[in-house]
Amino acid sequence: MKVTQQASDGILTLILDGELDASSSVLLDTELTKPEILNNQKVLIDCQRLNYISSAGLGVFISHLQRFQDAGVKLVFFNMQDKVHNVFEILGLDALMTIVPSAAEATAI
Amino acid sequence: MTIRQKLETALLPLMLLSWIVLLASTLLHANPAAASRFGTPPDWITLVAQAAFVAATFGFQRAQADLLRGTDFIGLLRRLVLGPGLLATICVGLHLLERLVQFNHPNADRTFFAIVYTINLGLFVVFLAFTNYAWRSLVLFRASERLRREWLWFEVLLGATLLFRLISWQLPLYVALPVLGALAFFGVYLSGNQKWVAYLSRRQKMEAVMLQGAILLSMTIFVAYFLRVDRDPKLVAPEPQHAFLLLTVFFAAFYTIMGLLVTLFNLPTAGVFEQKREEILSLQRLTQLIQRGQTEEEVYSMLFDSAVQTVEADAAWLDVEEEEGVRCQQRYNIDEQGSVAIRHLLADYNLGQIEYLNNDLNNSSGFRALGLEFEALIVMPLRATKRNYGTLYLLKKQRQGFDRENMSILQTFTSQTVLSIENLQLVARSIQNERVQEELKIASSVQESLIPKNLPIDNWFEISSHALAAKEVGGDFYDFLHLPGRRLAILIGDVSGKGVTAAFHMAQMKGIFHALMQENPLARTERDKFPVPSRFMAMANTALIHCLEKSSFITAALYIIDYEHGGFVFARAGHCHTLYYHSIKEEVSYFRTAGLGLGIIRNDTYEKHIKNQFYDYNPGDVMVIYTDGIVEARGADQSEYGEERLKQMLERTYYLNANEIKAQILADLAEFSRGQPIHDDQTLLVIKFRTSQPEPSI
Repeated sequence: MKVTQQASDGILTLILDGELDASSSVLLDTELTKPEILNNQKVLIDCQRLNYISSAGLGVFISHLQRFQDAGVKLVFFNMQDKVHNVFEILGLDALMTIVPSAAEATAI
Repeated sequence: MTIRQKLETALLPLMLLSWIVLLASTLLHANPAAASRFGTPPDWITLVAQAAFVAATFGFQRAQADLLRGTDFIGLLRRLVLGPGLLATICVGLHLLERLVQFNHPNADRTFFAIVYTINLGLFVVFLAFTNYAWRSLVLFRASERLRREWLWFEVLLGATLLFRLISWQLPLYVALPVLGALAFFGVYLSGNQKWVAYLSRRQKMEAVMLQGAILLSMTIFVAYFLRVDRDPKLVAPEPQHAFLLLTVFFAAFYTIMGLLVTLFNLPTAGVFEQKREEILSLQRLTQLIQRGQTEEEVYSMLFDSAVQTVEADAAWLDVEEEEGVRCQQRYNIDEQGSVAIRHLLADYNLGQIEYLNNDLNNSSGFRALGLEFEALIVMPLRATKRNYGTLYLLKKQRQGFDRENMSILQTFTSQTVLSIENLQLVARSIQNERVQEELKIASSVQESLIPKNLPIDNWFEISSHALAAKEVGGDFYDFLHLPGRRLAILIGDVSGKGVTAAFHMAQMKGIFHALMQENPLARTERDKFPVPSRFMAMANTALIHCLEKSSFITAALYIIDYEHGGFVFARAGHCHTLYYHSIKEEVSYFRTAGLGLGIIRNDTYEKHIKNQFYDYNPGDVMVIYTDGIVEARGADQSEYGEERLKQMLERTYYLNANEIKAQILADLAEFSRGQPIHDDQTLLVIKFRTSQPEPSI
């Protein structure tokens, strides 16, 4: 699992590459826990190369959801593979989180 | 009895026999009267008898047990002097007696002379054999395999010289001398092996010198006797100076002299050696003691005592580092005030936790200011890779009291101690671990008891279940509850994560299920007596908010089946979709309803995210309920089992009974994930609705 960051103009994009399981979710959690992340207007998660997400991985996003909302930071997922989207959907997260098909739409929100 | 053993038992008789033959032949030579009666035996008989006697004596001595017992070198030398060494006195005594006889009867015949000579020859050979094999024990003490082989060759070559005397009587000098010289050189080379001397203490070395002197004296007496009689006109025997005897005497004497010299030159260094030996011994003692130490206290106290003794410290103390701070574990000849002052001074000098040796304390103003009566100090930390266990301080009144060797021995002591302490802690931890394992086992069996053993049985449905945890305890759960009005509640769920935390939440969920599924006595309508699934989920969510960690969540699905009306209602809180076979439509599909997992939204808006789904079932319908451990099971290529394959399995097996459907699905799953570890708990429930039959009358 690799997490790459791209910051531009109040928008932070995290590119996830690989499998987000119990061990790699710690890495992501560290990134999302940083206080300065709330200085962004938007945090975009690029899921194009995210092949798998475990419940621990989902847990990371869930645990930060409220914090982001309270700070007025938008959390947007895009480029999500079908099987990963299915996991979000089964858990009902698609109704709770913003998931859009492409980067363009993600930036537009 | 092997041939070798038989030969060995024959050696003593052969020895005696050959000596008697030797005596007889010498007597015949010496006494013309007897010779005229029995005839003079040829020289070769004497020679063969002598060779046989020598060979038998050496062979006999060789077959005896090793003369060296353990490392009792002094005992060996003492036995050598007091045993065979005393034979020299017999030799002297006999010679004096003979001289007396000769003085009184100058013209007596040579019989007595010959007897004495033969006896002395026998004694000398016995003495040489004994000495030779005593030296062998010393040479071969802790010897390498190579040296042992070399010694064997030495023996073989010595034996060959015996033969060589027998067969070619007149070997040309230019052949004999180099051969003898080479053998002698070999003997010198072997005499270099004086390893044993190093194992003697100073006193023992003195004693060894005296004993070796005594052995040399015995040897000199014998050699002197033979040299003397060699020139005696009465000598009748063929030249007795066999190359063999010569060589053996040479070797034995040389070895004794070498040993004597080595011991002598080692005398001055004996003190140092002894100290080293003492240090090694105390290290050994410490190692043994420490291994026996049951507690850290014991180990520290052993270290302290050994260190103080070994370096002969005048005062010492041992600080042990604990979580609360440094604590003085033990002290000797120094009060707390003194130790604290020194510790603070060292800390000021930044010498707190490093190895430090100062042999001239009064040279430093800091120490002088303390007004100590000590002049030398060693600071030795008890260091492990990860932490410092404490520090050992040793003091001496004498200037230059400690040396580098003291430091290195103390280093060994402390590292041994640290090793033991860590070992003790490791053992303690492994016991603790075992206890945790034991508790996990208990947790596992407790959890086992939370999963319903007896599935509900009725005539309108069949139910079959399967549960497998990836670890001792898991996060999957399911439960049943009979509700009044011929209704059945089924709950299935999955706590995110695995292990003990998940198991706790699972138990909690079971408790919530049983608590919420109680009849509400205040309910106005029959319908309100039990919460509908969506209401149940909302209440469960509220109950879980306060105890579920932020990153944890629970997925669950609650089904309430009413078989009076032939229908069911369910709500899915983020749980896997329900797989269903519709017998009327002859079609397998998933109920794809919306519903958010529990613990994700932590306020009362949750209920908006959960929906109830009603469905009227028909006999023959099959409902498959499962957790994600089933559909997310990995195959060899890391692909997931998936909803699609599960659906296909039900399409192939819907006509079977519930047990068989479950077995087929599990078999297919096992086939799919063969050789792969189970990474998540797996739960599978198959419910098949049957045509309702009238209840059997009681």
